[in-house]
Amino acid sequence: MNLKTDGMVDQIRSAVSDEVVIALNQVNKWYGEFHALKDIDLSVYKGERIVICGPSGSGKSTLIRCLNRLEEHQRGDIVVNGVTLDTNVKNIDAIRSDVGMVFQSFNLFPHLTVLENCTLAPIWVKSKSKREAEEYAMELLTRVKIPEQADKYPGQLSGGQQQRVAIARSLCMDPEIMLFDEPTSALDPEMISEVLDVMVELADSGMTMLCVSHEMGFAKRVADRVIFMDFGEIVEENTPEEFFENPKSDRTRLFLSQILAH
Amino acid sequence: MADAPMTSGGLLVFKPKPSLPPPPATTGVIGWMRFNLFDGIYSSVTTVIGVLLIGYIAIGFYEWAFVRAVWEASSRNECRISPTEFGTCWAGVEFWFTRFIYGRYPDAEIWRIDLAALIFVLWMAPLWLPRVTAKVIVGLSAVMVFPFLAGYLFLGGERNWFMAIMVALSLTWFIGTMVHVAICLVTNQGLGRWIIQATGFASRDDRLQKYPIIILSLIAYFVVYFLVADWQTVEVVPNQWGGLFLTLVISGVGIASALPIGIVLALGRRSQMPVVRVLCVAFIELFRSVPLITILFMATTMFPLFLPKGVVFNNLASVIVAVCLFSAAYMAETVRGGLQAISRGQYEAAEAMGLSYWQSMGLIVMPQALKLMIPNIVGSFIGLLKDTTLVSIIGLYDLLGMINAVSQDPQWIGLHHEPLFTAAVLYFVACLAMSKYSQHLERKLGAGDRR
Repeated sequence: MNLKTDGMVDQIRSAVSDEVVIALNQVNKWYGEFHALKDIDLSVYKGERIVICGPSGSGKSTLIRCLNRLEEHQRGDIVVNGVTLDTNVKNIDAIRSDVGMVFQSFNLFPHLTVLENCTLAPIWVKSKSKREAEEYAMELLTRVKIPEQADKYPGQLSGGQQQRVAIARSLCMDPEIMLFDEPTSALDPEMISEVLDVMVELADSGMTMLCVSHEMGFAKRVADRVIFMDFGEIVEENTPEEFFENPKSDRTRLFLSQILAH
Repeated sequence: MADAPMTSGGLLVFKPKPSLPPPPATTGVIGWMRFNLFDGIYSSVTTVIGVLLIGYIAIGFYEWAFVRAVWEASSRNECRISPTEFGTCWAGVEFWFTRFIYGRYPDAEIWRIDLAALIFVLWMAPLWLPRVTAKVIVGLSAVMVFPFLAGYLFLGGERNWFMAIMVALSLTWFIGTMVHVAICLVTNQGLGRWIIQATGFASRDDRLQKYPIIILSLIAYFVVYFLVADWQTVEVVPNQWGGLFLTLVISGVGIASALPIGIVLALGRRSQMPVVRVLCVAFIELFRSVPLITILFMATTMFPLFLPKGVVFNNLASVIVAVCLFSAAYMAETVRGGLQAISRGQYEAAEAMGLSYWQSMGLIVMPQALKLMIPNIVGSFIGLLKDTTLVSIIGLYDLLGMINAVSQDPQWIGLHHEPLFTAAVLYFVACLAMSKYSQHLERKLGAGDRR
């Protein structure tokens, strides 16, 4: 994949790994007449942590939702883990079992307990035995620090706890890539840090992560690369240090001044 | 103010106030009545008028039902309480009561209906026992497997190969369910686990554990099959079926098939595939926009015209098919409403985890949607039960048909009110039972919504 690069970004990439796990080539997406993604080129390396930010409607959620076919792109190629996303259902299934996703509104299944939420997909998609799936789920619930809530229903948990369950639920499928779609935007301020703590721990463990987020502290701390989008385009991709201290584009500068003003 | 504010490292220590119980409400019977019944002049006046009205009706009813009642008589003429006036002739209802329930089913064979009813009750009863596991299978089999046994019990006669297989299956399943329930009550674990342990397979590999269950089930099935191979009952043709029994058969089959067909139609209507969607929409709209009575007439009078000569499709069967399709069309719209209440995020989460369409429908969407739909679903079931009275118009003697038959009996000619009142009570009991069961289900399934 020959993608637009600059020296800076190359340097970070070599620090991570040189195996490309996600490659986007000239990806375009329309919602009806609305051009939501314009000529997106991006490659993500194994173990890399990317934070995507930008104003609302800039296409950042659309971008990561295209990666596991929750949205369909109309032009260009998306290759995830060597599998090309096209209309072939087998390819889509293969990609979805490698890619976990965490949503802004958690999307836990309210009629199942926390433990059942975590074991459902391993049992039905990966054909694990119930016992095996439950043991692994408990391990992951311990990792996100809520093993004691396993038998409760999602409605009985706080937002922060629900989001941690959602992370554990995705991890139960042993994904190689995790997508986060504004994971902390629906949370009360006091609960944001407990979710970010889990995400930082996950980042430290070497998971490939793409995270749509406005948590700039998180971006500074764990991101290898920050991507700034507006009007469906990637305006700037840079290291966090450069991005915050010395943004290349005036649009980035304006955005940063707006979100960091308060 | 006795405690001085504590400090820690120069900071005030925040200590939340203790939670107190809520203030006592202004309760008591008097308080309740004052607040709800006599809260001002208008309220008091309407209360008094209301009480008088209720009392007037209650006294009138009491006089009709009890004071003027005649309990023993052998014809309507004997029910006169004066030369010009008839008493309330409960004797007629008593005389006809067995017919109200069983229609013209031969007296000597009525035990078959009772037996089927008993088996059904026993089959469904475990759903109320908290210790019984695998309730879904028990409940589903009562709806899907039991009808074959019941159908044979009702119809009798010779069994063809298909009915022979299904009746034996149904019986085996029933016996298995009863054993399962007994084991659950005694040992707190299901039949399957118990077999695995009793045969010593518990320590074996997970994949091997199903074999003793399969083998034992097959053995049980063949034993039952050969035991009942020679068992046969007298044939009772559907023309002799009637009364509440017939009402419950028609509405029971309608209820049992409406939900699955309705779910398929609703999913079809939301499908991405244009042909499937158009077919489902056409079916639903066609059956919803034609009155049930028209469909029933079509089924019994026009449909036979399209059949090849010599093929006779019995009236009851065509009525049941018509009722099923009609109620399925309504059910489809109820289900579609429920499906729309499930947020897009649920579908997306299921999709993102790699669940297939049918898995996400069956495991995620339907369980939530059906729970939301319980009041509507039971509403249509109750409607269906009452709509079956229409079959009396096309010449089937369902409960209402039998009630009307009384007044044409020379002995009891003109006896209308008392049988109709009896029918009203029977329908009310049946519908109330369904409604109460739905409320029970809602409470039980509401676990996930508790906050």
